[in-house]
Amino acid sequence: MVKQEQEIASRPDNTAFTQQRLPAWQPMLSAGIVIPGFVLIGLAFIGIGVALFVTSQSITVMELDYTGVERTSPCFRCSDPNVKNCVCQLDFSIASLFKGPVFFYYGLTNYFQNYRRYGVSKDDDQLSGDLDSFTSPSDTCSPYEYDSNNKPIVPCGSVANSMFNDTFKLYQIVNGTKKQVPFDGKGIAWWTDYNVKYRNPSVTPLRDAFNGTVKPLFWPRPAYELDPSDPANNGFINQDFLVWMRRAALPDFRKLYRRITEGDYAQGLPAGNYSLEIAYNYPVLSFDGRKKVVLSNVSWMGGKNEFLGIAYLVIGSLCIVMSIIMLIVYAKFKFPEEE
Amino acid sequence: MAKESVESGLTWEVRANSCHYHKPKQKKSFLCFRWGRYADNLLRSYKYSPLTFLPLTLFEQFQRVANLYFLLMMVMQCVPAISSIPWYITIIPLITVLSVRGLKDLANDMARRRSDAQINSRPCDVLVSQSFSTAQWKDLFVGDVLRIHKDQVIPADLLLLCSSEPHSLCYVETADIDGETNLKYRQALSATHNELTSHPSEEALAAFDGVVLCEEPNNRLYTFRGQLHWRGECLLLDNQHILLRGTVLRNTQFAYGLAIYTGTDTKILRNCGKIRVKTTRTEKVFNKVVMGIILSVLLAALLLAIGSGVFSSWVMSHTGVLTPLVVGGNPIYTGFLIFWSYIILLSPAMPIALYITFEVIHTVHSKFIGWDLEMYWPQADKPAQARNTSLSEELGQVGYLLSDKTGTLTQNRLLYRQCCIAGEIYGDASVRAEDVEPMDLSWNPFSRGGLFMSAPRLVETLRGQKCPLSIQFFSALSLCHTVMAEWKEEAPVYQAASPDEEALVGAARELGWVFLSRTRDFIVVSELGVTRQYQLLALLDFTSQRRRMSVLVREPEGGLKLYCKGADIVILERLQKDCPYQERVEKALELFAQACLRTLCVAVRSVPEASWEQWSKTLAQSAAMETCDREAVLEKLYDQMERDLQLLGVTAIEDRLQEGVPETIALLQQAGIKVWVLTGDKKETAVNIGYSCKLLDPDTRLLEWQELRQILQSPDPGVSFSKARQTDLWVVDKERAGAKTAVVLSGLELAEFDQRPEWGSTFMRLAEQCQSVLCCRVTPGQKADIVTLVRKHTTSVTLSIGDGANDVNMIKTAHVGVGIAGVEGGQAVQNADFALSQFRFLQRLLLVHGRWSYRRISLFLRYFLFKTCSFALVHIWFGCFNGFSAQSLYEPWFIALYTVFYTATPIMLVAFFEQDVSAESSLKWPELYKCGQRQELSSPLMLALSLLYAVYTSLVLFFIPFGVFYNTAFDYQTMAVTVAMAATFTAIIEVVLVTKYWTKFNVAAVCVSFVLFFICTRITHSTRLFQRSPRDYVFIGASDKAFVNPVVWLTALLTAWTAVLPSLTAYALNVILTVRDKQKVHSASNQPMELRSQMRRGTSLRRSSYALSQGARPGRHIISATSFRSTVPTVDEKVTASNNLTRPLSAFK
Repeated sequence: MVKQEQEIASRPDNTAFTQQRLPAWQPMLSAGIVIPGFVLIGLAFIGIGVALFVTSQSITVMELDYTGVERTSPCFRCSDPNVKNCVCQLDFSIASLFKGPVFFYYGLTNYFQNYRRYGVSKDDDQLSGDLDSFTSPSDTCSPYEYDSNNKPIVPCGSVANSMFNDTFKLYQIVNGTKKQVPFDGKGIAWWTDYNVKYRNPSVTPLRDAFNGTVKPLFWPRPAYELDPSDPANNGFINQDFLVWMRRAALPDFRKLYRRITEGDYAQGLPAGNYSLEIAYNYPVLSFDGRKKVVLSNVSWMGGKNEFLGIAYLVIGSLCIVMSIIMLIVYAKFKFPEEE
Repeated sequence: MAKESVESGLTWEVRANSCHYHKPKQKKSFLCFRWGRYADNLLRSYKYSPLTFLPLTLFEQFQRVANLYFLLMMVMQCVPAISSIPWYITIIPLITVLSVRGLKDLANDMARRRSDAQINSRPCDVLVSQSFSTAQWKDLFVGDVLRIHKDQVIPADLLLLCSSEPHSLCYVETADIDGETNLKYRQALSATHNELTSHPSEEALAAFDGVVLCEEPNNRLYTFRGQLHWRGECLLLDNQHILLRGTVLRNTQFAYGLAIYTGTDTKILRNCGKIRVKTTRTEKVFNKVVMGIILSVLLAALLLAIGSGVFSSWVMSHTGVLTPLVVGGNPIYTGFLIFWSYIILLSPAMPIALYITFEVIHTVHSKFIGWDLEMYWPQADKPAQARNTSLSEELGQVGYLLSDKTGTLTQNRLLYRQCCIAGEIYGDASVRAEDVEPMDLSWNPFSRGGLFMSAPRLVETLRGQKCPLSIQFFSALSLCHTVMAEWKEEAPVYQAASPDEEALVGAARELGWVFLSRTRDFIVVSELGVTRQYQLLALLDFTSQRRRMSVLVREPEGGLKLYCKGADIVILERLQKDCPYQERVEKALELFAQACLRTLCVAVRSVPEASWEQWSKTLAQSAAMETCDREAVLEKLYDQMERDLQLLGVTAIEDRLQEGVPETIALLQQAGIKVWVLTGDKKETAVNIGYSCKLLDPDTRLLEWQELRQILQSPDPGVSFSKARQTDLWVVDKERAGAKTAVVLSGLELAEFDQRPEWGSTFMRLAEQCQSVLCCRVTPGQKADIVTLVRKHTTSVTLSIGDGANDVNMIKTAHVGVGIAGVEGGQAVQNADFALSQFRFLQRLLLVHGRWSYRRISLFLRYFLFKTCSFALVHIWFGCFNGFSAQSLYEPWFIALYTVFYTATPIMLVAFFEQDVSAESSLKWPELYKCGQRQELSSPLMLALSLLYAVYTSLVLFFIPFGVFYNTAFDYQTMAVTVAMAATFTAIIEVVLVTKYWTKFNVAAVCVSFVLFFICTRITHSTRLFQRSPRDYVFIGASDKAFVNPVVWLTALLTAWTAVLPSLTAYALNVILTVRDKQKVHSASNQPMELRSQMRRGTSLRRSSYALSQGARPGRHIISATSFRSTVPTVDEKVTASNNLTRPLSAFK
């Protein structure tokens, strides 16, 4: 008995796994499945494409370049970097009701917010309210770590330093008088940015926390005075600051500035003449950039995006074309067999 | 004395029984310092100690270029100025790889330690103060006197002092050293024998104070030079006096020895060579591709760095907000740093996970080979074994199978089937051995069965003692051999050097001539119950040149007889004139050859006393001569004695084929594998076996040396014109002859290839068109040379299969070496990459495991290349839109997790389980195997296509999201998540397309990968992790927003679909185009191959034997040619062609 056991001691196990006989499904595809499959997927894509395209068409977008490159541009005067505190006015008219809610964006082109050394130039500890990082910012902030007097810059780094600081006011011209369109600046930043990622130090008043630090070099005001109108909207949780700190993916981008959701304009911007008052501070001409203001309403798919719909249509049609080619190939192969 | 010994090279001094002399000189080491002279007997095959493990394993691992490369990457990532992704992204996989390998090595090392400890603690008897006490092997010292028991393994290289047997003979089995299972004898010096064999021997041994001076430890197993200085005498020592460590004492009660070399100084441990590392062809191609990828990455990084420099200088001149970011205000320096940053960023294109996964897959494939029940041999309880785990896919690409004959194709089980005595033929070989009616041998008390011959007439003749020739015939069989008899259960058990001899002695035993025992001087035989003692005067040994052996014995009656057995040619030319029955014996030889039997001629000679005396004197003189001359003189002397022989008869032994050999060879040939047979056996036997195992068809034309030489010589070497003509000439032949021709070569003829290296390629071109090549009479070295020849002149993968020590060389030389765990010891298996128990398992190993493995690994490599390159190359395109700043488009964590977590498992399972057709179908349609031989799945072209596809995918992965997100309010992180999502989807869809065999594990792995992506992304983007370390989890909240955004989903979906569209189209077209083939394959009735093969075998046997008998006698070649002609298909054209072809042949003859 023992001997017998020994004799088969090294006999491999007879299991489905060791014998490579695991039950398995081997899809046996045929032309009858593949070609209709392609057609179906193609149709589905075309369907999505059409839906996207139609939706996209229903979105109204108005883009106003106010860089002031042309002499005729109202902001040409301000585009000279030597002119300080320049305000220019851009008039435009809306022919029919601009359905609300209307989103007010500013846009920059040729602006490399995705440049790596620019992007890493901030101190996440500092921005999450760590007071130790106020006095000694991380060296990732270099070269905007300390000012010439060796005082720590708060918020440090390139991203914060280069914060967009043009401000806008929109007026509707009603019977020759300017009626300000109310802007809603609340909740334009990401929830996580506002509540988790960026925190002010728990020091009241806030400005005490900034003792011994200096404001970023390009900034007109320190961080704790970013929004004089709303004391809660200051420091690192200022909405405009948060929007700026969320880096753009590509060199041409828009960032949400305000929403128009209140008062007479909750339904949208009625037809009429409008005037946009711009406090022109941010220099872009030096790097061939452009500054824009974009008014847009949104749908379920967000802002206007024609590319996606068209791409879906193209790929969907491609699938259909493929299936036709396959059908021809199949026919060519099949019929000789039947002969 | 000392000076003298130094001059003669004998500098190793061992003093018997003087522990105090040797002990201080023991070898010791601390770290890298070593001192001392004599090694202890401790086996240390382990590599690591607790102290050295870490540095050693790291050193070993960083010798691999890949690991070094990844280390470099990691170091670069730690440099803040160039670090484009955090350092921990590479260190996690690197540490995983290092620790997995390290642990594997450690586990192996522990196992070695355990086996070492087991060996080190084996008991042995050491002489301590006049008595033997049991000690462990590790406690042995040089100079100790040991007592070795019967069947004990010898613990160190010993000088044999004396033994319990007469003349201090002792027998050792050297299977562990050279793989030969026969016993060899060793003999002590007569001086020590005489002085030390007193009783009790302990005292004499304890008083023994000889000093041995010998060579320094070396690895030469078969030579030993030394002197024993004892009692003022200087005695010469040679290999005959040495018992090597690792050999086993047999047939000897006790042997006493003096330890000369211990531990690492012993010859066997000096011989432990390292196994050559073999890499597979696929791996080589792949390594080239990897090099290509690295070069492309370098080039891309260079271009991007130039771009960065240009961009920086543009930024500088435009004094933008980014100006301070140009490092040191120097665009060139910035470009330089960016170059390194991009190398880091693009390095995932060649991921470290690939190597570790590759290793895991190989290991699993090897396990599958070991687990296969169909390759398990219950009789020996041996499963197949993959000893080299990294060659499995090579099994799917084999183009040439080079097989040993004995023990591989044949069972090495020799059956005595027929004999011819005095012109009478006994036995019938046409009956299968199993069906032979057993004879009634109950009259013979020594009969133990195992005789597959039915010849009652012979028994009658023998018992009636009617024919003196037959009595002499069996006396010859029972006397003329080198077999040892061991008594077990009242019956002799034979231990033979060659299975031939065992069969012969065994047959003689069955028929009443029982070899009982032998000493150095006497052979005891029981002849039909009468015990007779023959004095053994001389044994004229068998060598491959002599091809015969003889014994000279004094009969109990006093007469001198020389019994000789040997190859027919050798014996027939030494017969006395007018030998009776010679013609009938020659006829019998022919008959036996037809039946594929091995034959030996047996002859006798009565030697006059006077000539013996003279001869023995000369022999004694020449025996004392110098080694080199001695051989030649001895040969001559032997030749003098083996003359005027009287032919007694012929023995015929069946060399049984292994089970399933013909079927396997037929199947492998259908699979497009060229099967060559390389054997040390003679041409006739080889050709014979070739026919019987269906390697050759009955109508196969044998292309022998003279003709081959003509073809090889026909063009003047080096003249291109004639070369072309020669090829043309062959093309004419090809149609008819190519497939039906086999080349037969012998070792001597092969030697000519050494002088004419230019023949090699011509020969290989010829051989490629031939059905097979048989090489006979080749030495182990030549076997390896043939493998080298094939390797050199073809691109095919070669596989050598063999079972004996003589096959080790070719097993090591071939791409893949397979060892048959058979009768001839374990040497072949020890050196082989795969070990099988049966030749027929080869069909499953190649056609099933090899084919699957090749397919799986090719799919795996191509997919891995695709998924990593497509994912990493995105950064090149992104670089053009971020100022060439080496900004990553992915979250660092995604880069780390993508290759390992999100995409590794499904493809790994494909690499484990994928089967395009089942094992049964693989064997049913051997043609499927050709795909691997042509490298259809892993050719450089295929890999390049995968790369091209990866480039396309990377373009899609970047530019579709780019189009969607351009000039929108979407931020960088949302785009990163979108592209990551698209990349993951693409990889998953692609693996779904690759998988054709969906087990539940595959389904689970795909689902898990998919889900894991979302879970891990959510985790790394979670608030909790961010709060723990704000700098490492900067993507907080990105996926919360992205995963609920329809645009992100639609973009990812579109991107993934567009990315896989080409492969999907190819897949669909493939489905459409192969439908017909598939139907064909499935509709083809399972033609019963056995039936067909059996039918052919019936004819083949008769044909083959006929052809062989012609081959054996060159004079009748013409007849064979005519016979071929008649078997050629009856198309007129072809018949004329064959006529033309045979003409020069017959003319030559």
